[in-house]
Amino acid sequence: MTGLAAAGRLLRRLLARRGAVLSLAFLALVGCAALFAGLLPLDPLRQSIADSLKPPSTEAWFGTDELGRDILARVVYGARTSLVTAFGAVFIAALIGVPVGLVAGFYGDWRDSVLMRCIDVLLALPNILFAMALIAVLGRSQGAALVAVGVAGIPSFARIARAQVMALRQLDFVTAVRGFGGGPGYIMFRTILPNALSPLVVQAIVLASIAILLEAALSFLGVGVPPPTPSWGEMLRTGKSYLYEAPTYAVLPGIVLTLTILSFDTIGRAMTALIDRDETDAVRETAGGRR
Amino acid sequence: MTRLSRRQFCMTGLALAGATPLAANWPAAAQQLKGGTLRVAVLTELANYDPQQLSTVNFHVIKNLYDSLIEYTPDGKPEPSLATAWTISPDKTSVNLTLRDGVTFHSGTPFKSDSVLATLQKGADPKRGKNVFSTMSIVKDWSAPDDRTVTINFKAPVPERQILDLLQFLLPIDPKGIDTVETVPAGTGPYTLVSRAVGQGLRLKANPKYWRPNQPVTQDLVFTVFTEDQAATAALESGAADIIYGGSSRSAVRLKGAGYQVFAGPGPLVQVFRINSTRGPFRNKSFRQAFNYLMDRQSILRVGYAGMGQEVALPWAPASPAFDAAYTKTYAYDLDKAKKLIAASGLSADEMKGWKLLVNGSDESSVSISQIAQGSLQKIGIPVELDIRQGAEYVSALLGGDFAATFGAVGNVQKFPSRVATNSIYRTSQNPVLKDPHPHPDYVAAIAKVDASTGSAAEVKAAYDNLNKVMVEEAFGIPTNSYDVGLIVASDKIGGVTLDMDNLLVARTIGFK
Repeated sequence: MTGLAAAGRLLRRLLARRGAVLSLAFLALVGCAALFAGLLPLDPLRQSIADSLKPPSTEAWFGTDELGRDILARVVYGARTSLVTAFGAVFIAALIGVPVGLVAGFYGDWRDSVLMRCIDVLLALPNILFAMALIAVLGRSQGAALVAVGVAGIPSFARIARAQVMALRQLDFVTAVRGFGGGPGYIMFRTILPNALSPLVVQAIVLASIAILLEAALSFLGVGVPPPTPSWGEMLRTGKSYLYEAPTYAVLPGIVLTLTILSFDTIGRAMTALIDRDETDAVRETAGGRR
Repeated sequence: MTRLSRRQFCMTGLALAGATPLAANWPAAAQQLKGGTLRVAVLTELANYDPQQLSTVNFHVIKNLYDSLIEYTPDGKPEPSLATAWTISPDKTSVNLTLRDGVTFHSGTPFKSDSVLATLQKGADPKRGKNVFSTMSIVKDWSAPDDRTVTINFKAPVPERQILDLLQFLLPIDPKGIDTVETVPAGTGPYTLVSRAVGQGLRLKANPKYWRPNQPVTQDLVFTVFTEDQAATAALESGAADIIYGGSSRSAVRLKGAGYQVFAGPGPLVQVFRINSTRGPFRNKSFRQAFNYLMDRQSILRVGYAGMGQEVALPWAPASPAFDAAYTKTYAYDLDKAKKLIAASGLSADEMKGWKLLVNGSDESSVSISQIAQGSLQKIGIPVELDIRQGAEYVSALLGGDFAATFGAVGNVQKFPSRVATNSIYRTSQNPVLKDPHPHPDYVAAIAKVDASTGSAAEVKAAYDNLNKVMVEEAFGIPTNSYDVGLIVASDKIGGVTLDMDNLLVARTIGFK
């Protein structure tokens, strides 16, 4: 079975789990809101100081912030910030991490040692500290936050890709491709990678949740996306100062952030469980065949 | 009935006469207050113990470790402190001080004229003088005919208020400790240092040899540093602190509503939209003048400072002799007028863009009010980005002039008008933002005119009016509002709070009811 077919089968089995379905539904809602925010009658930047710190009402479902801006509008547009950062970060991390892991695992010689020591250096640095240092160099912007979170995610992709290659490279189908004259590049990217896709997809989902949290943490610490661009972390940062006057200001964006991360984690965990079960079944099948 | 002998009667009378001026300065309620340990929550970490470094981070300790030569009452009247008398010469070119007898520094060294001379020497040193240095620019030299007398001579006739400001700004330092004053306090103040835990707080104890009778009221003074305003208010509400000093206006408003006492001193700061007129479109006078109308002062005051303060278009507190409320009305928020001035500037749309608004990311009020200004600019078609920097990075950019525009507060706005030039953006020479030669000679001349106006009240007022007019015309600093610094929020068991002219914390009169 090819990797893509396996992924399709995985998705079908995932939809059989209630928690995963709820999570997917929530993420679909957040994703649609982020994607079609421009079509909604919401303006996250329009200030109306006279209406500042209003509680939730029919005019402003989530209330208003200290500048009288609609918190719901900022949450919706903040979803765009968070998801763009998350997917961008995953893309950067996978784009660099996967080839690094493939090369290191496939050759297993000095290339493995050099690449893995570089990855170890990245792993040794706490993500948040590394991201803050990178933002200090690149300047405070959404692009900088995206790159910082993405670079921090490289080691996990590299490690998983390497482990998968090391497990797969000795198998018969890889030896067969090699025997038919397949070069290293072909074997790595066309033979091994499709078969290693499932754990990498799971890792992408897990990293997406980490990236959203990291982006929010950076904004909370005041080094993330600069205002007035809406960001959930920035809303938490400012909202905590108004906890007495307008508790919903921090609480509602906080709930959305929590649910988004929880949804990503739930899906990631469910997929991990399904993959683990597949592997256990495969081992049992192999053991049974031998017997 | 007990009969007093003539000798006893005379001695008692003399004692009462001597004590009256001191007792008059002491809040009546303080006489019934109890001592104990006063726990103060502060939001800033102390920088050092140098009384000539009058930055807000040091405000909570200076007046507790040191005394001024003279003090001001909250309504601006001078009163004796370490100087018991001062005589300004008729030509206003010198002042003669009589120093208090029987005062000792914390080290045990007697307070004499040599300490005032050493303090003047330090203040006049450009490297060591810190905030006092610019104030010393009027001073020519000084001398001490004896241990109890000091004479300060000025370069030219100086207005009386400016002389008094100088005396109030001078806090004598022990000559033996003057070289190490940043790390070891060397004052005559009501408290002495016991210990300090950097980043956490410090503990002071009552100076047993303090010269003011029955002061300090409390035996121990403990400062705890809180990094979050909410944490400080929680400490007060839970009874872990007796006072919050320097908390936010917003918390003060809330706590006042909850029954806590709030004290705001007469020395607020004024928030100023600082413009670097040596850069980009800000070289254009008409473009700068548009910002007089672009500041939504009402919103800035409401959002940034919970409405505590006053809208101002000039860098003066209401207590300043140059304060003129008419300017606030004349330069009220008006986008149409701003647009006209921008059109008159002749700048193209591209020329007006391309600059960033520097923001102090460590200060939530600054972030909020910068977004208000950003919103106003957006409305007239000038999109600007916020350049948010944290802590030292911001301060470095602010004081080094590495910005196009930024909000930054100025102090000394309740005293003699030319004292505004102690703030970096308003300096007339060696201005770190506008550099030398000063790009606004009319402003420099207006400050000089204020300094030289020692004649009639009409002459003085004309000098103030001229300075105000020049400030809004040159428009390199656009004041928006005054706001309270050093706000004191206290539980109801606290009494005897003394308001300081500079809003420094004066703990010596505070006690428990």
